[in-house]
Amino acid sequence: MFMKIPSLKSVTKKIEITNLADPELFYVPLKSYFGEMKPLVNVGQKVQQQLPLAKGKDGSLVHAPVSGEVVDLSYQINGLPHLLIQNDFANTVYINKEIESASAIADKIRLAGIAGSGGAGFPTHIKYDANQIETLIINGVECEPYLTADYALMSDEPEKILRAAHIAAKLFGAKNIVIALEKQNRELVKVFQSCIDFSDDISFKLLPNTYPQGGELQLIKAVTGKEIPKGSIPANEGVVVSNVGTLWAIYNAVENGKANTERIVTVSGTGAKKYGNFRVKIGTSVSHILNQLGIDLNQTDVVLGGPMMGNIVSDLKQPITKTSGGVLSFKKSETKENNCIQCSYCADACPQHLMPMQYASAKFDNDTKKYVQFNLSDCIECGACQYICPSNVPLMQSISEGKSLLKSLQNSVAI
Amino acid sequence: MSKASTYKAPIVTSKLRVSGVMLDVIIAMLPLVFFSYLAHGKYSMMVIGTAIGSALITDWLASWFFLKKTNSPLDGSAIITATLMAFTLSPYTPLYMVAFGGAMAVLFGKILWGGVGKNRFNPALVGREFMVAFFPVVMTSASVWTAGSYTVVNQLHPFSVFGQGEIINYLNATFYNTNGALGEYSILFLALGGIYLVARRRIGWQIPTGLLVTFFALSLWFQDSISNYSIAGVLLGAIFMATDMPSSPNSNSGKLFYGMMIGAVAIMCLAGGIKHEYMSYSILILNGFSSKINEIFIPRSWGRSTDLPLRVKQTVLITLQIITVSLAVLGLNYYGYIHYLVFVYLAYMIFNFHFFTQQKLQDPI
Ligand code: SF4
Ligand code: SF4
Repeated sequence: MFMKIPSLKSVTKKIEITNLADPELFYVPLKSYFGEMKPLVNVGQKVQQQLPLAKGKDGSLVHAPVSGEVVDLSYQINGLPHLLIQNDFANTVYINKEIESASAIADKIRLAGIAGSGGAGFPTHIKYDANQIETLIINGVECEPYLTADYALMSDEPEKILRAAHIAAKLFGAKNIVIALEKQNRELVKVFQSCIDFSDDISFKLLPNTYPQGGELQLIKAVTGKEIPKGSIPANEGVVVSNVGTLWAIYNAVENGKANTERIVTVSGTGAKKYGNFRVKIGTSVSHILNQLGIDLNQTDVVLGGPMMGNIVSDLKQPITKTSGGVLSFKKSETKENNCIQCSYCADACPQHLMPMQYASAKFDNDTKKYVQFNLSDCIECGACQYICPSNVPLMQSISEGKSLLKSLQNSVAI
Repeated sequence: MSKASTYKAPIVTSKLRVSGVMLDVIIAMLPLVFFSYLAHGKYSMMVIGTAIGSALITDWLASWFFLKKTNSPLDGSAIITATLMAFTLSPYTPLYMVAFGGAMAVLFGKILWGGVGKNRFNPALVGREFMVAFFPVVMTSASVWTAGSYTVVNQLHPFSVFGQGEIINYLNATFYNTNGALGEYSILFLALGGIYLVARRRIGWQIPTGLLVTFFALSLWFQDSISNYSIAGVLLGAIFMATDMPSSPNSNSGKLFYGMMIGAVAIMCLAGGIKHEYMSYSILILNGFSSKINEIFIPRSWGRSTDLPLRVKQTVLITLQIITVSLAVLGLNYYGYIHYLVFVYLAYMIFNFHFFTQQKLQDPI
């Protein structure tokens, strides 16, 4: 049973993508899905836009968003290292011959530093190292409230998404391409159909406006009927799911030889005075974005990402990453925590069919076994349980504490 | 903010609040209160009013004294507990007893467990059983149940517009009659209250459905060996008592099993000669198994499969345990020792609060 959450998208839905002025200082995150990345440049080095800056163990790359000078290689924000670039505003571009000359599409994708733009930022070149794929699902279901970055991409640049979809489908031999959209966005069907690149192998799947319909596992079930557990690889089931933002980045890489150094970010929320969908370079700090828009930082809580799964920003230097779809500000509010009344609403709302209230009792009873017993590892941290809880029981806190507890136990067993 | 930054949190939340949940339960009970007025007028009102008054005062004092909280009477739970307890009483119950019941329901049914949401047993029924244990003679005496011939409205005939006959008489009686306990005067509105609560998703359909189907199926089967029961009383138990959130299981399959077992145990009680307390005992017995049921009936996670042999084994085991406990209760009842259970419970609650609950008052669960 999924729940309906007010989408609150109307404020930004119809706003075209615009550019945002670049900041003087960029904080490029040195973290990929598989951990920290190693810098390829030195302090003091002059870099041009698009130059590879760092490389992860899996080959993931991150590139210079602008031209300028490297001023720090390990600037810590929230315990994560960032590479600092002083923008020289010259905008000189490094012509990345490698991307253009790479013969395999998968190599181009890796060299362009593309990571899934919707979820955890899984490296796309690894995901696309797949064959015997039946269905490519294009995830246009932006089920987080407020966010319209994907919507803006689909309505402003649908040809690019279709082109990239064809490129991807060809790469792993997918026979069908399914564009998944929420019913509330059904007007996009026409937008896609009127593109030159539209073809017969593309179909649409309109899904209810419920949360979290855009979660990968839930989407796969809705489109193909296959229910696969968390932790399994969809490609083994003949399915690949890609976000529209990822496809957009693939288009830029394959057709234009451009590395992935920018994304679309929705600025919205109850505390925002200006709204919109902006083209923002990776590494731009949250404070820069809010300053540009004249949003008062003292009276708002800021969220990076969506309001359900995003992070509440504790350090405003925190930058836009390849996965941040939104910068949302909310008027500060106090939520009062009450006793759990055992209403089971959290269990009803959980897309993974878990019993979240048990994680709260595991936390407060210091009962680690309970986390395992009630299948905590199947939790996708979607926040639906916390959203619905009438008592504001700290469910997400219990869940994240439980997960780190289990992880540390696993590690100690491994040793 | 310092706390918030350490974990991801949805910053938007639903508008649903505990008070909203409580309000819906009160809405579902209101017609029944109205019918109790029609039936026994001021006597009904005095009983309900006394129960609520006593519960609220106890809630306020005991929350302050034991829980160090002063705002809890406002959450509506004491009103619901008190009204539900009153629903199980005769309108002619002496008011000092009602006041005692209301106070015990809140104190031993809720506060000493640590407050709202933490109770393991239905507080309304706890209050009722305290009354039965402390005033056994009055609670079961015929005089309390037949004393009043005072009724405001004797009969209502809403269905008579459709004609006459046996069925119409039966339907009229379903709509309204003046027999039985305070909450039992309108079977129709009991059912409508249940439908309302299910439609508003305040209770799951699983508990009432499982309970009623099992109960009525078994009652047909064992027709000859069970004594009379009150349909309204069974409905009241199935819809309002068994569904008490904290004392019932959380998962859908668990709720279904729990409801079915209450139905079965209620029939056992009837067959074992328990006249008035069959619903109350069966619900309280199953309350005691709720957390066990939660651990057995864990929903199947997305994309995974249930270990069926294990599930069957655990279900059989817990069913045997429930039957054993029920037989023990029947035995105690037969030899007239059942009220000692309440005294044991009383002692346990004080011990438990002193040594355990007290340390966890700040925890939300
Ligand atoms: S955060 Fe986890 S437990 Fe909560 S609803 Fe989502 S999947 Fe279920
Ligand atoms: S939604 Fe909140 S109050 Fe209800 S059972 Fe879950 S944790 Fe408890």
